Amino acid sequence: MDRVVRVAIVEDHPVVIEGVTSWLNAYPQRRIEVTQVVPDIGTLQPLTRLQADVVILDLELGGRMIMDEISGLAAGGQRIVVFSAHGDPRIIDAVIDAGACAFVAKDEGRDHLFDAVLAVADDRPYVTRSQAKAILADRRPGRPALSGKEHEALLLWFQGMSKASVARRMSISENTVRQYIDRARIKYAAAGRPAPTKDALLARAIEDGIIQPAEVALYTSYASGYASGQMPPSAPKGT
Amino acid sequence: MTALQPSAILTARYARAFDAAVIVVVAGWHLAGAGSLLAAHLGDYRSDPFQIAGWLALAAAIAAGSVHLLRGSAEPGPAWMVAGAAFVISTAVAAACPPGRMLETDWAWGTAGWIGLLAMLRRPVAEFVIFLTLEALATLGVLLHDDPHRLALAGFITVLFSSAGLQLAACVAARALNVTAQQAAEAAAREAAATTQKVIADRLYTARRSRWLALQETLGPPLSGLAAGSADPGDDGVRRRCGAEAASLRRLFAESDYSPNPLIHELLATADVAERRGVAVDIETLGAIPVMPPEIRRAITDIAIAALTAAVSRARVIVNATGAGIAVSFLIDSPAGTAVPASAPGLVVESQRDGDDLWMEAQWTVS
Repeated sequence: MDRVVRVAIVEDHPVVIEGVTSWLNAYPQRRIEVTQVVPDIGTLQPLTRLQADVVILDLELGGRMIMDEISGLAAGGQRIVVFSAHGDPRIIDAVIDAGACAFVAKDEGRDHLFDAVLAVADDRPYVTRSQAKAILADRRPGRPALSGKEHEALLLWFQGMSKASVARRMSISENTVRQYIDRARIKYAAAGRPAPTKDALLARAIEDGIIQPAEVALYTSYASGYASGQMPPSAPKGT
Repeated sequence: MTALQPSAILTARYARAFDAAVIVVVAGWHLAGAGSLLAAHLGDYRSDPFQIAGWLALAAAIAAGSVHLLRGSAEPGPAWMVAGAAFVISTAVAAACPPGRMLETDWAWGTAGWIGLLAMLRRPVAEFVIFLTLEALATLGVLLHDDPHRLALAGFITVLFSSAGLQLAACVAARALNVTAQQAAEAAAREAAATTQKVIADRLYTARRSRWLALQETLGPPLSGLAAGSADPGDDGVRRRCGAEAASLRRLFAESDYSPNPLIHELLATADVAERRGVAVDIETLGAIPVMPPEIRRAITDIAIAALTAAVSRARVIVNATGAGIAVSFLIDSPAGTAVPASAPGLVVESQRDGDDLWMEAQWTVS
């Protein structure tokens, strides 16, 4: 993909805005362009859809957790990369269930944010280490079942290995490592409440041969009863 | 339900023994004292069967009062019911004594007082005093109706003091004994707790001291080398060795802290030393950490010390607890040639090097 990826940033901390903007603008060949910076979702809503391929969203705006607003944004088909300091696995699970495409913890830094933004712009999965932890730590009833290899690849990735190192450790190709990790992520796109962003991820995964169409139905039925909107009790409800 | 304190168990045991003694005294009095008085005057009463029925009814009241007492109940209802029954029966029996010979032939007054004591052993002393007063007034009423002359009154007062006085004294003694028993039990419990504390403290001290002595052997040479100038602080080997010793010391301090999760606590202490050297350390946990033998924990933290000491600028520590055990992984950047710690007994240690990245994992499985 050679087109320029347009990014909107929803963030209310000037330092973070400054930092993220300068990271993205410094990306080789200026492939990422920051088109809009707003302090809250309300300001973003009317403009984004046509202007940004990806929204980088902070979870805490104006001292309030805005998790409830993610599903509204995702329902409009907006691709969202959550960039937050709140890396609690339950929060990440809830954010992904609400339809966000990827989660990048603030301490995971620049390269993960680049990779996440570029993958998400293409409707492809990207799993950060914090997201891998959330998948590994998921104990909700009806959670997607991972295969042994998917679990192993995800665990080694979470432990900090590069994908090349995971490949060596598992004696498989780096590409297969990516597939295992992506498959684990895609199972989550097929689970929980439906969202256009999840459908887009699934469609692309089928196109890329990560999963078979028949598997999607299987995961979806597996996940029936998988309660939607499982917000962690610690997260304050927004309006 | 909370567990009973040892002091409460001891107090209960004392109280039970005293209760049993009171029951024996009351039943003994009814059988030997009141029973022999009744037997001696059979034939004198207006109706012998009535007196015998009264005696049996009071025996039943004693049985009921004993059950109430042994159950440990302090409820006023049953206590006053038993005492009330004794009051009514004893008054009726007194009223049915041969005319003019009530003081001589009434066997029931004393028993009624003892039954009152039995029933009210767990009630405030004042209630028992009220009961004794009512009982005495009723008996006095019967007496005045029967034979209101001076000699009888003097006899009444004598009997009142000898029986009711004894009963009241027994009641007060019961209170005093109870308080003493409680104090003794509490003192015993305090002493037992203090002894346990001391044993634990002694053991901890011995264990820590032996580790400190072991540490001194490895800590001494680099320190004296630095002091004497024979070791170069700029030398990488010397720095690594000092770092490892510092981390071991820090762990020794961490071991003496109380922590609900000793492994994480000690890993954090070890990480702290690395962070002071400028290494960025991430520690994350997955799952609930199982209880593990101290030697396994020490073996894991030994590997952590080796790994974090070898890290140049970053280290990622993942504690992954599964139902079957625990795996602690370390991913550090370190120059080639860093020694990987050998497997400790009970631990499986694996490693993989990719360029500057060194990955190690120590696994322990619950056996």
